[in-house]
Amino acid sequence: MSDRDKIDKESREHRETTDPSREEQLSLLQTITMEVAAAGDFSSALKVVLRRICEKTGWVFGQAWLPNQEGTVIECGPAWFCAEADLKEFRAASEESHFVPGAGIPGSVWKSKQPVWIQDVTLDGNFARIKAAAKAELKGAMGIPILSGDEVLAVIEFFVHESRAEDKQLVKVITAVAEQLDLVMDRQRAQEAVREREARISLAAESANLAFWVLYPERNTAWMSEKGRVIYGFDSKLPLTWELLVSRVHSDERAAVQAAFEQARTSHGTFESEHRIVLPDGKTRWVMMRGRCLQNEHGDLLEVIGVTIDVSAQKQSDLELQIQRDEMEHLNRVALVGEMTASVAHELNQPLTAIANNAAAARRFFDRGQIDPAILRQLLADIAAASHRAGEVINGIRGMARKGERTRSLLNLNAVIADTLRLVRSDILTRETAVVTDFDPRLPDVEAAPVQIQQVLLNLIVNALDAVEALPLAKRRLIISTRSLNGESAEVSVRDFGTGLPADRAEKVFDHFFSTKAKGMGMGLTIARSIVEAHAGTLGAENAEGGGALFFFHLPASRGLPMGKAA
Amino acid sequence: MCGMIATSNIENRAVAQVRMTPSEKPSQEIVCLVDDDPLVLRSTGLLLVSDGFAVRRFDKGEDFIAYVASHDVPLVVLDIWMEEMTGLEVLARLCAISPQTHVIVITGHEDSAARILAMQIGTVAFLIKPFDDEQFLEVVHRALGHEPAPPLRGALTM
Repeated sequence: MSDRDKIDKESREHRETTDPSREEQLSLLQTITMEVAAAGDFSSALKVVLRRICEKTGWVFGQAWLPNQEGTVIECGPAWFCAEADLKEFRAASEESHFVPGAGIPGSVWKSKQPVWIQDVTLDGNFARIKAAAKAELKGAMGIPILSGDEVLAVIEFFVHESRAEDKQLVKVITAVAEQLDLVMDRQRAQEAVREREARISLAAESANLAFWVLYPERNTAWMSEKGRVIYGFDSKLPLTWELLVSRVHSDERAAVQAAFEQARTSHGTFESEHRIVLPDGKTRWVMMRGRCLQNEHGDLLEVIGVTIDVSAQKQSDLELQIQRDEMEHLNRVALVGEMTASVAHELNQPLTAIANNAAAARRFFDRGQIDPAILRQLLADIAAASHRAGEVINGIRGMARKGERTRSLLNLNAVIADTLRLVRSDILTRETAVVTDFDPRLPDVEAAPVQIQQVLLNLIVNALDAVEALPLAKRRLIISTRSLNGESAEVSVRDFGTGLPADRAEKVFDHFFSTKAKGMGMGLTIARSIVEAHAGTLGAENAEGGGALFFFHLPASRGLPMGKAA
Repeated sequence: MCGMIATSNIENRAVAQVRMTPSEKPSQEIVCLVDDDPLVLRSTGLLLVSDGFAVRRFDKGEDFIAYVASHDVPLVVLDIWMEEMTGLEVLARLCAISPQTHVIVITGHEDSAARILAMQIGTVAFLIKPFDDEQFLEVVHRALGHEPAPPLRGALTM
């Protein structure tokens, strides 16, 4: 409201206070002001006004008319009041009517924005509901506009049974009441606007670097800030709809975004979604979308306000971090294969030796012309078996050296340890180290990626072998044991009898690049820990009683995959 | 499982055929073979059989030691890295029980400490797997005090 309007209003109020019927007016105004304030919305406020005016003035019927959304006609609003039951027929007739600007009482008031008074409607040529009025025995009528600035929000219409001459004083009072109504509504609208603005601001504050959008579900239109249009690749003049917004979402994630939106819409709550959007030029962006549904006092959805943040850069760095982690893991596995040189060489040499010997023997039998088909068959079968075994060794190494093998399955850690020990069998032999295993037969299964768990075990075993390498034969031993922790998790521990961990800083062995070995990268244990933690487990180290280091890890027991999936 | 593996029917047949060959050496010397890997054990055995030897195979060092205590063994082909009793342990005991037995060590990988130790206790050769069949058989013949390579084999491998 401009200052001039305020002054205008105040001067009018000043005039009214000098009026003879001042007390009546004041009482009506007071009552209505209080009740309208309590009413909450425009329609309830109108009901209060209609009833109070009828009660105070003795007019028998009152109803409100509202211009339609397009502004083409004025129609009956939901608010009305009648002092007598048989006036309901007149209400029904009104409900069936609508007026263009200038037609009937509502149309005239709407057009002129001025009160209208009719002494006897049954004698008025511009009164369409004349039959209904005659039946209801209504004659005197008045229509008063409810203005907001220059806009007619509503027209209130009153009737009495008798023919009435124009009562300017009454019109004045009701106009003042109507103004009061507008003031109250104004205040409410302002409060609503503030609430919305607050909602918007808080949303904005929550998310830096945001693009802002508002969706009007009733009209299925949307507004989007310029920044938002840039993020989504919308032309600045393109009319927007929710469908258009959703069409930008990557097809893999579109259904999920739509579902989150619908969920928020039905519950009038908020929704949040992280997804990709695909721009018209084919570029993909990662965005975080947050939306909030705003409703009116009756719980009707008014609009959905939201923000979209471009998180592509953050996603990219997350991705790079993951790739780096994968790369380190991979390097560690390759390094482990390298450290298992004795085993790798031995495991490959055995079948290769068998193949070479068998082939040489076959050739010799041939050379002498003494070939027995049974012997030849045996030689060839053994060659095939040895080749197959060599292939398995290669596959085992390749499995360790391969990247990104992280499919999880149901594992029994006892079996994984046994397999891993077979892999390093020759190293254990050549290092003349005794490896004692103590397996808990009730060890619960875990869900894990076999290659990764093998990597953890190899890191611990190779470290333990290194730790005892320089010791006299009798002390060169490891104890690998498993234990069920109340059936809730499986514990694996690798104990050596070496010099133990640095006294005051056992945890330091898990730091990057901490190594006590001449050739070590110092990454093994860091990677092992990250693998265990990625499986919701823990990896720790302590000095064992009686000397040496004890490394242990826990993995949570599987919550039970169906048996069929265990393989 | 029985550690001492008797020569199979197949090998017996091969041996019988070898025996009938007039150009072959008359003596049927028995070579002992110790390796815990069944594929290597059999293939090395057949390689020796193809050159006219009779072979006694063992997949455990203990079993060989038990055998050598009561038999005259001119030559043993011994694997070093075996589970349970290792080749080096077998060597050490062999020195005490049967110092006249010649030893050829075959191993999966070079290990200078093992080589030095083996050579000190009467090993005639130290071969890395996979080894050349000619070289291997030549070493076997030499260990048994035979003439160098028989003419037939030499001619055909040219």
